[in-house]
Amino acid sequence: MLTASTERNWIGHLLRRGGFGATPEEMSRYDSLGYEGALEELLNPQRVDNSQLEDFVGQQQFDFTRIEDLKRWWLYRMAFTRRPLEEKMTLFWHGHFATSFAKVREPYSLYMQNLLMRKHALGNFQELLLGISMDPAMIVWLDNQQNKKGKPNENYAREVMELFTVGIGNYTEQDVKQAARAFTGWQRTPAAFRFNRNQHDYGDKTLLGVSGDLNGDDVVRILSRQPATARHLALKLIKFFALDDPDPAFVDRAAAAYLQTGYQIKPVLKTIFTSREFMSERCYHAKVKSPAELVVGTLKTLQVTRLDGDLPTVMARMGQSLFEPPNVKGWDGGPAWISTDTMMERFNFAARITGQKFNDLEGYISPSELAAGQRLKDAGEMVDYFLSMLVEGDVPPSTRQRLTAYVSSDLAGRPLAAIPDDTTLDAKLRGLVHLIMTLPTYQLA
Amino acid sequence: MNVSRRNFLTSGLGVLGVVLSGPQIFALAAQAASIAPRAGGKERILVVVQMGGGNDGLNTVIPCGMGAYYQARPQLAIQPEQVLPLTGQIGLHPSMSGFADLCKQGKLAVIQAVGYPNPNRSHFRSMEIWQTAQPDRIADTGWLGRYLDLADTGTAGGAEHLFPAVNAGPLLPKTLSASKVIVPSVAGVADFRFRTDPRYADDRNAQVAAFTDIYSSFDLQRPHVDLLRKVGLDAREASDFLTRSVRSYKGTVAYPGNSFGDGMKFIAQMIAGGVNSRIYSIGLDSFDTHANQSRKQGTLLKQLSDGLAAFQKDLEAHQLDRDVIVLCFSEFGRRVSENAGRGTDHGTAGPVFVLGSPVKGGVYGDHPSLTDLDAGDLKFKIDFRTVYATILDRWLGADSRQILGGNFDSLAFV
Repeated sequence: MLTASTERNWIGHLLRRGGFGATPEEMSRYDSLGYEGALEELLNPQRVDNSQLEDFVGQQQFDFTRIEDLKRWWLYRMAFTRRPLEEKMTLFWHGHFATSFAKVREPYSLYMQNLLMRKHALGNFQELLLGISMDPAMIVWLDNQQNKKGKPNENYAREVMELFTVGIGNYTEQDVKQAARAFTGWQRTPAAFRFNRNQHDYGDKTLLGVSGDLNGDDVVRILSRQPATARHLALKLIKFFALDDPDPAFVDRAAAAYLQTGYQIKPVLKTIFTSREFMSERCYHAKVKSPAELVVGTLKTLQVTRLDGDLPTVMARMGQSLFEPPNVKGWDGGPAWISTDTMMERFNFAARITGQKFNDLEGYISPSELAAGQRLKDAGEMVDYFLSMLVEGDVPPSTRQRLTAYVSSDLAGRPLAAIPDDTTLDAKLRGLVHLIMTLPTYQLA
Repeated sequence: MNVSRRNFLTSGLGVLGVVLSGPQIFALAAQAASIAPRAGGKERILVVVQMGGGNDGLNTVIPCGMGAYYQARPQLAIQPEQVLPLTGQIGLHPSMSGFADLCKQGKLAVIQAVGYPNPNRSHFRSMEIWQTAQPDRIADTGWLGRYLDLADTGTAGGAEHLFPAVNAGPLLPKTLSASKVIVPSVAGVADFRFRTDPRYADDRNAQVAAFTDIYSSFDLQRPHVDLLRKVGLDAREASDFLTRSVRSYKGTVAYPGNSFGDGMKFIAQMIAGGVNSRIYSIGLDSFDTHANQSRKQGTLLKQLSDGLAAFQKDLEAHQLDRDVIVLCFSEFGRRVSENAGRGTDHGTAGPVFVLGSPVKGGVYGDHPSLTDLDAGDLKFKIDFRTVYATILDRWLGADSRQILGGNFDSLAFV
């Protein structure tokens, strides 16, 4: 087993977790900054000029009233942003405040919600939560439009505590009913938030021990400052970025960073990415890649520039349909990404990226171009080169041997002393990249 | 070509050409060859339908003889003349004609007021409680997962059961999460195939062989590697096996054209095609009707009822109906009083359905009281684990105490 020993390995690790992987060019640039420099850049997206991305997506003339366009827009952002952590955090918040097109049916509202999440991606949680509570898509998604004085609808009030802040076990059914009253009248017009005072319940309420004529923004303040919220967010961020089963002390440190800084997210992220735990063998190649990480990471690593319109559908079939999380809890993530069905989709994505759909079209990649100029002498070096590029060489020796045997055989599987023709070479290199992309390690970030 | 093939000599093949196939691969090959359409009367199969989101039980099994129902539901109540009658006091939602027919044939058991003590109104926790049958602690395995673990004789992948269970959907519900066996999740066979580059069809066998060898010997000490390895091998095996099985199915029954109907047809294809699993699961979601409930719930109940009625007909046509029962549950019912948005909020107890030819049809248990409530919610009368115990003990021939961790009475529905 290879261990992540060099700083370059740890930068690769940081970019897989804090971003969506890196192209070879990006990797060299981050490498020249060193781990600390690369992390500082990720944590301060406002310092990085992203106009190239904005120009590019602007040229695409997306129609944000179409859900397909919205999905492609976001996939392009993930693939071409120079602010990877900002985009990764936007994906985190989308999974946290999981709102689906399946019910909202308004792509433009979901687009606006996505902008809100990106604006506060590494910012202040209380401000984000207030924005979310006033967000038209969320108001439809959790039925707050129907939450009226004397006839409360509990949907938003329950989920804001169970899923968005303190977590289950840290509130009572009575708190749900009280919070629902506080959010009465928090409605929307077609395009914006509207506080409907005629439908708001101005009576006394008590939430988590705080009494008074509480309104929705009071609920947001009360919930944001709870230590249970700090722990809930810290645990979820650690699970998203670092480890599936962190030690309590690690979670406590990240939670403290939240509470000590007035509910800021960036210090929590800094705590995670500078921790011993994050830069430990236990953390390296230890998380199952989400479909977004797998698909976008592949595009970057293999420098695929032809992004077909149906890549979001490929992601959806792997279990992650952007703007259509399965329910208000979002994606479970971790090992839950893996089932027989989603695994087959991952294998077939590999087949598609490495193969050629139509004879008259170029494939997504040309492995021989990727290997050009590498002065690779034999099949073993070829295998090592692609193993290094795609999985940092982190495979058992038997895998390396078997891949070498595969490359060194003809199309009927008979051993060869030399590759007989360009067609065989192309087939074998495409097959090699395909096989590496199906490896267990390639499913790990 | 940018790499010259003359510089690309292979080396040391005699040493490297190790054959690494695991024994399970050969076992599978033997199994795959022996697929034959199934004859009836050999197995006892359970199909579990999970109605996600919390189905409003009061508008499913409707207490049309109770005045309190019409008081609590001024907008949402279904009028007595529309209800499909079951007994004098209760009847089914008007969109459930398929269920009403099954009821007339004595093939539908309606079990009323099913729930558990100290109900949890969170979708996720309550669903987990139903899936794991462990209301008091967080469990890693589902109740049917534990059944599969106990039924696993170590020959899984061998002759008797290639797959102990199949989930007809992309993601496994916790119900089938087990510690010894991995249950495949397959949404449908059409796209479920290990593909290789069609331009190099000649290389396919070499790639598949390399894949199988690598996966069989992939020994790397990292989290999730064992899971990925097992699921990866399963996926490849399942693709051949399921494709062959489904191909051998011949049917004439028309299923409704929606994804639930497609899923039920897929399950029938697997059962008739000889897949030989004892448990199948499928989900029907979006029952979380906080607003504008009537149309949404009616559509879903129609999908459920029509899909299962077609499934029953299909099994009967294949003479396999004596082998199969279907369980339908939801994580909770909904609040007795409707809310201001023509919807209902999260509640507690609700009805459970069990159907199939082996089922003793009828209504089990009393309808929950609409006036003796717990904070506006129904009080449960039958513990859901009683339903599970009945299925485990009387249908699957298992020991429910071992699986459920306690003694639960049996009902008489099977």
